[in-house]
Amino acid sequence: MTLSTPEHTERPATTGGAPRATRTAPGGHTPRKRVFNVRRGLTIAGFLAPAVLAVTVFVYYPMITGSQMAFRHWNLNDLTDTSWIGLGNFRDIFADPAWGTVLSNTVFWVVASIVPQFLIGFAIALWLRRRFRLRGLYQALIFFPWAISGFLIGILFRWMFNGEFGVVNDLLQRAGLISQPIPWLADPDTAMTAVVIANVWYGVTFFAIMILAALQSIPDELYEASALDGAGRVRTLFNVTIPSIRGTLSLTVLLRVIWIFNFPDLIFGMTGGGPADQTHIVTTWMISIAQQGNYGKASALGLIVMATLFVFSLFYLTATRERKGSTS
Amino acid sequence: MINKPSAAGRAARFAFLGIWLVITLFPLYWIIVTSLKGPGAIFSFPISYWPDHISFENYTGLFSHAQFGTYLINSLICAAAAGATATTIAMLSAYVLARFEFRGKGATMMAALVTQMIPSFIALGPLYLLMTHLGLVDNRLGLTLVYTAICIPFCTVMLRGFFEAIPDALEEAAMIDGCSRFGALFRVLLPVLRPGIVAAFIFNFVNCWNELFLSVTLMNGDARKTVPTALNDFISSFNIDWGSMSAAAVLTIAPTMVLFAFASRYIVQGLTSGAVKG
Amino acid sequence: MRTRNMAVTLAVASALALSACADGGSAGGKSGAVHISMVESLTNPSRTVVLKKLIGQFEAQNPTIKVDLISPPTDQADQKIQQMLQSGTGIDALEVRDTTVGAFSTNGWLHDMAPELKDWSGWAGLTDNATRYSKDTKGRTFYIPYGFYGLTLYYRTDLTAKAGFSTPPASWDDLLTQASAVQKPDLHQYGYAFRGGKGGSNLAVLQIEAYVADKIDRDDAYKLTDGRTIFAAPEALDALNTYLKLFQQASPPSSVAWGFPEMVQGFSSGSTAFLLQDPEVIATVGQSKAINTGQWNTAPLLTGPGGKGCQPVGSAGWGTAASSKHKDETAKLIEFLAQGDASATFTKENGLVPVVKSAADDPFYKTGPWASYLAMNQSPDKYLTVVQPRSVAWWSEWSQKADADVQRMLLGKVSTKDLLADWDAYWTAKWKNQPNQ
Repeated sequence: MTLSTPEHTERPATTGGAPRATRTAPGGHTPRKRVFNVRRGLTIAGFLAPAVLAVTVFVYYPMITGSQMAFRHWNLNDLTDTSWIGLGNFRDIFADPAWGTVLSNTVFWVVASIVPQFLIGFAIALWLRRRFRLRGLYQALIFFPWAISGFLIGILFRWMFNGEFGVVNDLLQRAGLISQPIPWLADPDTAMTAVVIANVWYGVTFFAIMILAALQSIPDELYEASALDGAGRVRTLFNVTIPSIRGTLSLTVLLRVIWIFNFPDLIFGMTGGGPADQTHIVTTWMISIAQQGNYGKASALGLIVMATLFVFSLFYLTATRERKGSTS
Repeated sequence: MINKPSAAGRAARFAFLGIWLVITLFPLYWIIVTSLKGPGAIFSFPISYWPDHISFENYTGLFSHAQFGTYLINSLICAAAAGATATTIAMLSAYVLARFEFRGKGATMMAALVTQMIPSFIALGPLYLLMTHLGLVDNRLGLTLVYTAICIPFCTVMLRGFFEAIPDALEEAAMIDGCSRFGALFRVLLPVLRPGIVAAFIFNFVNCWNELFLSVTLMNGDARKTVPTALNDFISSFNIDWGSMSAAAVLTIAPTMVLFAFASRYIVQGLTSGAVKG
Repeated sequence: MRTRNMAVTLAVASALALSACADGGSAGGKSGAVHISMVESLTNPSRTVVLKKLIGQFEAQNPTIKVDLISPPTDQADQKIQQMLQSGTGIDALEVRDTTVGAFSTNGWLHDMAPELKDWSGWAGLTDNATRYSKDTKGRTFYIPYGFYGLTLYYRTDLTAKAGFSTPPASWDDLLTQASAVQKPDLHQYGYAFRGGKGGSNLAVLQIEAYVADKIDRDDAYKLTDGRTIFAAPEALDALNTYLKLFQQASPPSSVAWGFPEMVQGFSSGSTAFLLQDPEVIATVGQSKAINTGQWNTAPLLTGPGGKGCQPVGSAGWGTAASSKHKDETAKLIEFLAQGDASATFTKENGLVPVVKSAADDPFYKTGPWASYLAMNQSPDKYLTVVQPRSVAWWSEWSQKADADVQRMLLGKVSTKDLLADWDAYWTAKWKNQPNQ
């Protein structure tokens, strides 16, 4: 059996549009025929049905029903008045003095978390690709952060970053790196650093797993060919490795952006958004508003989060698709 | 082998991997140590990196006054069932999304992505009402159904990537040999995809295993609680029972660790396991 | 072969798992007994054990009633209870707290138990406080308290003696003096276990209340007798300035972010010499390996310059859901928990101030760390019990805002004066908009 070249895997993800019976797929895919149209339609529908049904009933229906709260006065502390107030909750959000801080925190939180996660995860995956003794054990061990819930990680790191009794300060002092304990979570700047550190610790695993899985699919022949060409390690990385797994990379980054954006658990466990509301990101702020009982405003914020991520995903997918297209 | 790295490169590689291992494991070590300290010893200063007296009191407590065994079984059932069902269902949809061009495909993919953006509290209220009407509150089947639905979208996106990496020549050959599409999917693609499927299952399993809010909302009685709920019993803004919490955390992490250890073999096997290697 | 195995394994696994988890909803319903669901919210595992034991006794006395106890984790419990109440199913008895009773009753989720409890024999056994909290201003009974929370000062006898003090601090000024004297950061020794994180504003308000004790409205302890807010009083500024000094001179720097676990650990690890907390902490501190029972004690609340202190009583109890179909049985359960040994056991094992007279006479409450509560009870003119407006609809919004404001003050981002002006404006506006609350 021969293996396909990496271009083979770069199927352009053409979306929408009518079925293209005579589309000439790149990379030698057999063109599909219109003859089996009905049958084909049934296959598609039948294969998609269970997923669509389950997700519609248990995810979309409750979500859409719940979204109406965003346009109503909906405060759990007093549900005697739940009148429709149009965009009132949204105006409330944009007028809130905390909104600016929350936005810039969110951007910082996502970028500062994802870049190190990506780089460290990539490095680990690259280095794990090659066999060594105890590699399986190593993998199992470094994958473990993924097995813990975000809230628990938050609590655990809050404890470790505790200024007086925290093990982080204790270790740093023992190592002679600091002379005075750092009150990590008491200062907005160090608190943000601490939550990002915790998030990096947590998120590297996902990148490592996804990238490693993708790397495994690159045939050794490609590396051999690259070596015969006299390519160095760096050139091989950029000419062979990255193009081969570009699809996985871009998808993983997108998913992580969405998840990190939507990941209040860790910050909530660690700082609760404090000190003085300075470490709130959009989703932790949303939860704290919901905890005050103002479900209307919190839901409006939830819709803003979804709209933002949706628009971001569209741009992102368009951008990455174009680049993909240029290579195939 | 190809591209044999230099000795310095190897050293750098192992140094990096070693340092990351230490960083990763330290919090785990810390939970284990805390779980082995007796009551009172946790709150002592200076910090001790190893308990003076190893005490299993926290663990025995979990099984005597809390039915931790029951919680483990509940979690195991729900996470395994939802993980397997979601993987199966997502395999079908991922296959279609990878192999066919059709109207609405882009929208379907986007709809899958959007589910990842939904803040759960918006949907929680209506979901609770829905489950009440269906009579599925405080019921493992109910929780499993919801977990399945929640896992499907990401699982589909992930598996679609794996499907796309496999040339369609493979199943077309099988279909020419008389297999139905369904048959081709299961007989030919499945084995090639095995590492991807295992990985997808593990992601689903871990997500369900750690899920807290839906479990709290949909499960009532002590006999139906899952592990994250029990774990959060020890944590609150008013109090944190560090000893019991750490012990519960260790027991929570252990099964996923075992699963990872078992599955890493498959992930390592690679998607190209059937191919001729150089 | 491997191919088929894989497919078969997956299919069988999902089928098996799905069938394994198909179980028949909530247990029971077949025995003919009435099932009532009881939901607690301040869940903690050891309390749940006590509660289960008491429920067992109740069921033994009432064989036709079965109680299904639902114990969600504390931080998620309110949300779950709200959902259950909103859906109107599956909830009969529930834990109602001073902070939730307002919202729950406004929404019509709570049943006024007055009719069921009219002829209850247990009323006579309740303490005055418990009777008072059993009825709201309109005479409705939305919950019967199971116990009260109240603060006391924990202090280190050895450290204060070493620093030259023979008595525990009586006033906030004393606390500042003593805590500053004890504080030696180089030796990991700090004065006061300051609460700057979640719940921190309560202690700031506590001090303000002590400073305005002479003119406070005891039934609405955010109000002065002249109708203004307590934050408008000139004494409030003195109070808050001392409070800030306490943080700056006598507390660990990282305590800006300290919540309950950090402050309790601060004291029980021996790092701080003073702590203001509820009686439930007595047990935790008693277990500490870092300090032994000879090294600490409790003292009555701190007083202001006028020599008085205010004890804001926190209360929680059991109520009936309006949607309950078994209101009589639920009332029976609540009666059982609020009287005699059941109530005494519950308060004693959970470190609460008791609600039944008989328990208050227990020698347990007259010795050791509990003695300071007795002392406070015996001087009601010095230690005023006050009621904070915790049942207003905006209480949770206020708590979050106030906690963040206190942190801002500690970080020097807002002055004590501006903070008080802001709080004054906040409450004045709220009262103006909702005069009935």
